Amino acid sequence: MKRIAAALALAFAAACGNDPYPASDAASRVLYVPYAEAPKTLDPQVAYSVYDHEVIANLYETALEYHYLKRPFELIPALVEAVPEPQPRADGRIAYRFALRRGVRFAADPCFGLGTPGATQREVVAADWAFALQRIADPKVGSPVGATFAKIVGFSAFAERLAQLREREPGFAALRIDAQYARAGPVEGIATPDPWTLEIVLGEPYPQILYWFAMPFTSPVAWEAVAAYDGEAGRPRFAERAVGTGPYRIAEYAKRRRIALERNPTWWGVEHAGAGAPAAVYPIEGEPGDAEAGLLPDGVAGGPLPFLDRIEMRYEKELIPSFTKFAQGWYDRSKIPKESFDQAARGGTLSPEMQARGMRLDRTVMPGVYYVGFNMGDPVVGHAAGERGRKLRQAMSLAIDAPEFLRVFLNGRGIPAQSPVPPGLFGYDEHYRNPYRQVDLARARRLLAEAGYADGVDPATGRALRLTFDTGDPSVQARLRYEFLVAAWRRLGIDVEVAATSYNQFQEKVRRGAYQVFFWGWIADYPDPENFHFLLWSEMSQTRSGGPNSANFSDPRFDALFLDTRARANDAARLAGIRRMRALLEEERPWIEMFHPEDYSLSHAWLRLAKPSGMTMPVHKYWTVDPAARAAARAAWNQPVRWPAYALGALVVALLVPGVVTYLRERQ
Amino acid sequence: MEGHVAGNLGAAALVLLLAFAAWRVRGSRRGRERFGEIVRRRPWASAVVALYLGVALLDSFAWIDAAAPGTVAAPRSLLDRVFPADFGERSYSAPLADAEFYGGEPLAHPGRHLLGTDILGRDVLHLALGGARVALLIGGVTSLLAIPLAIAFGVAAGYFGRRVDDVVFFVLSTLASIPSLLLLVALVMVLGRGTLQVCVALAITSWVGFCRVVRGETMKLRELDYVQAARALGVSDARILARHVVPNLGHLVVITFVLTFSQLVLSEAILSWLGVGIDGSWGQMIDQARDELARDPVIGWNLGAASAALFGLILAVNRLGDAVRDVLDPRTLRERAG
Repeated sequence: MKRIAAALALAFAAACGNDPYPASDAASRVLYVPYAEAPKTLDPQVAYSVYDHEVIANLYETALEYHYLKRPFELIPALVEAVPEPQPRADGRIAYRFALRRGVRFAADPCFGLGTPGATQREVVAADWAFALQRIADPKVGSPVGATFAKIVGFSAFAERLAQLREREPGFAALRIDAQYARAGPVEGIATPDPWTLEIVLGEPYPQILYWFAMPFTSPVAWEAVAAYDGEAGRPRFAERAVGTGPYRIAEYAKRRRIALERNPTWWGVEHAGAGAPAAVYPIEGEPGDAEAGLLPDGVAGGPLPFLDRIEMRYEKELIPSFTKFAQGWYDRSKIPKESFDQAARGGTLSPEMQARGMRLDRTVMPGVYYVGFNMGDPVVGHAAGERGRKLRQAMSLAIDAPEFLRVFLNGRGIPAQSPVPPGLFGYDEHYRNPYRQVDLARARRLLAEAGYADGVDPATGRALRLTFDTGDPSVQARLRYEFLVAAWRRLGIDVEVAATSYNQFQEKVRRGAYQVFFWGWIADYPDPENFHFLLWSEMSQTRSGGPNSANFSDPRFDALFLDTRARANDAARLAGIRRMRALLEEERPWIEMFHPEDYSLSHAWLRLAKPSGMTMPVHKYWTVDPAARAAARAAWNQPVRWPAYALGALVVALLVPGVVTYLRERQ
Repeated sequence: MEGHVAGNLGAAALVLLLAFAAWRVRGSRRGRERFGEIVRRRPWASAVVALYLGVALLDSFAWIDAAAPGTVAAPRSLLDRVFPADFGERSYSAPLADAEFYGGEPLAHPGRHLLGTDILGRDVLHLALGGARVALLIGGVTSLLAIPLAIAFGVAAGYFGRRVDDVVFFVLSTLASIPSLLLLVALVMVLGRGTLQVCVALAITSWVGFCRVVRGETMKLRELDYVQAARALGVSDARILARHVVPNLGHLVVITFVLTFSQLVLSEAILSWLGVGIDGSWGQMIDQARDELARDPVIGWNLGAASAALFGLILAVNRLGDAVRDVLDPRTLRERAG
């Protein structure tokens, strides 16, 4: 009996607290964040999703990184001594020479015993960079960015040689991976003159290649790790085991429960702290407003990174419980569920209760654009319709109210787009107002009449002009959004029918070019306007090459400007070119630009130095927390409410008493 | 042919059919008695079903006005004409509210949306009433497809027996062994989206049960004395079927029609919820309201209106169906007499 009472008391005591973490962590600098989706892979050459990169960015490093505070984004050297300059060659090829940082070591791992018996660590050399690039080419690795790196001379040839050898020679595929690559021979355009120099040669000018060296795809990888972690005989796969150079390493990797990262004690930034390399210390300067936002406090600028001892990521499939735990202080940062949005952040500012708790709302415009596109290959709305088609597109553009769309469907999370280039990128102009992206029905009707569709009547049929809006999303939620657009065009007398099919059928329609109007979005890989303009480059045309130019826009004037601005540095000439492209798109209207999406997240007051970025980049090494403030807040916000327990107990007693009384009476 | 013209013709045919049925019922004493009996037993359910039928018919007759220049001429039904032409708001508004639900901007028609408006600012009462036509269409068209199918196969299997019975029964068992919801979704995927396609899919999954009943009833009828006598006299099979078997299945048809009707409407709601339903149905309204319930503050009127409309029709039809069975089924008649 005594033991039962003790157990009950214990259970009751435990029920009084809701702290999910060990008490010993309360005083250390641990970051607690939820994640909604587990990484699919930790292989840096393969990983492409935000969820993958969130973890990988802490484990692997890249040649270049983005400046943490400055906007527009600026490249800084990370694993290299300096950002390389393009070196044009006589034959039209362009070379980049990366001077690699010395003394960078892979995190300790037993796999290095493969190279030197007994070794647990090794310095990163140029061959590891070449190995990573070869892995992108390797068809077996399945890297999603092979097409981009095919601009490196001899890149595709290497991939073909490798595939042929695997096919023809029986024992080849069983060779160790480094031996396979050695047999396939080097990539012509990748050279390693000495262990600390990497040189790549491109067949054509492509200045944007440097941005790819700021993405995990190009992270140096040790062949020992790839060879050792092959997923056979109980060994983990390389996709589940990270051997990188990053400031953190994996402490626990239970994908469906918890991912814990701890400091990498042999990170080069720590070992060579005195060097003050830009990617190893907190920035000294930022953009205007950063100091006011508390991002440049005294004593931090120039200080050695990282600040956090540990990063605790917890799997939270559902946003609402995750948000509740955030509100209780158990997570340091959270997204806002759509459902709670109106309660939490109406009109772009936090609710008074949340402000009183010191929470902070971080709004950041994503480098992306959503748009309504016209299929320019269509005879009615496209190029073939000439001036009539252009005026029709202009009129349809004038009818769509993007701010209203944002208000109705996205709680206003986004800014109306005037051109394809989103804020934060070179060439974005916040004062620019696209004359065709303001609602003006009178002008739209005039244009429609000039196009020969007076009052929306198609002279060929004598009825309202009939267009089809094609989509591969038949859900009701999507349908409502498209109904909004259709209703706007109806006001002009144009009858647009929504043709919602399954995604496969839609893809088939797109492949055949049998579509007219569609809705699409694009999030940038890297912060350069080229990543948006190429969506309208005729070479990328969907029907011609299967590229992402779904509008099939094809205009020689635009192509010339695109190729010219693509190869230029961010100078006045490039800006002028971008302006000319903008003016061209303004008139031609292959797209009705809708909005640039905005990301809202909430942070607690004790999470410091966290600047929202919108780009995939390592950020956690710059963040810090104040454990004392966090512990105090958690204690204050999680006062147990005991009366329901007492009430429940009273109820149980009340139910038992009559029974006991009856029992006793019966026994007498 | 334009959609609304077909709709008008269908509705006209339905009205004629109802008038003909009424005339026949009035014409015979037994018919009058039975009809009176059903209404007497379930006055409320009858009234509700009649109300739904009326709303659905109102929504079925549509025509296009001479279009004002610069607008898309859309057919408007009698029901649409009950509501003002431009009755929309910009987005959500609560029932009878004066201002928008989020943001609080004034409405174009303050206090006039009895059940509020949905995310696109459409009047929820109007949408809910419009769902009646879709429900009737689903039940009606599907029954028109399924009942002849079931009678043809059921009678053939029950009357001829042996090989025919084996084949028909094999088909029935096969169809019955596939989970009907999976089969429905697969059929809609194959046939494509659209009202007729969904009805065809529903018909394919729903004729099985009825076919079994018909088969059993036919087997019983085949052994009756007068059928045996007709056969002995050398009357052809076709004539026996037409004169003696099929007419005796009449009460079964009516009972099954009423009882499957509500089942079909419910099935469509489930299909809509899975994203493959018919535009404008209550199921689709419920699907649309899926994430509205999780909002804070909650938006419940959309879901509430559609659910109440669906619930009301199904309850009334089921209640009526019980009465119809009691009155028409010879077995229950006999029980009452005994």
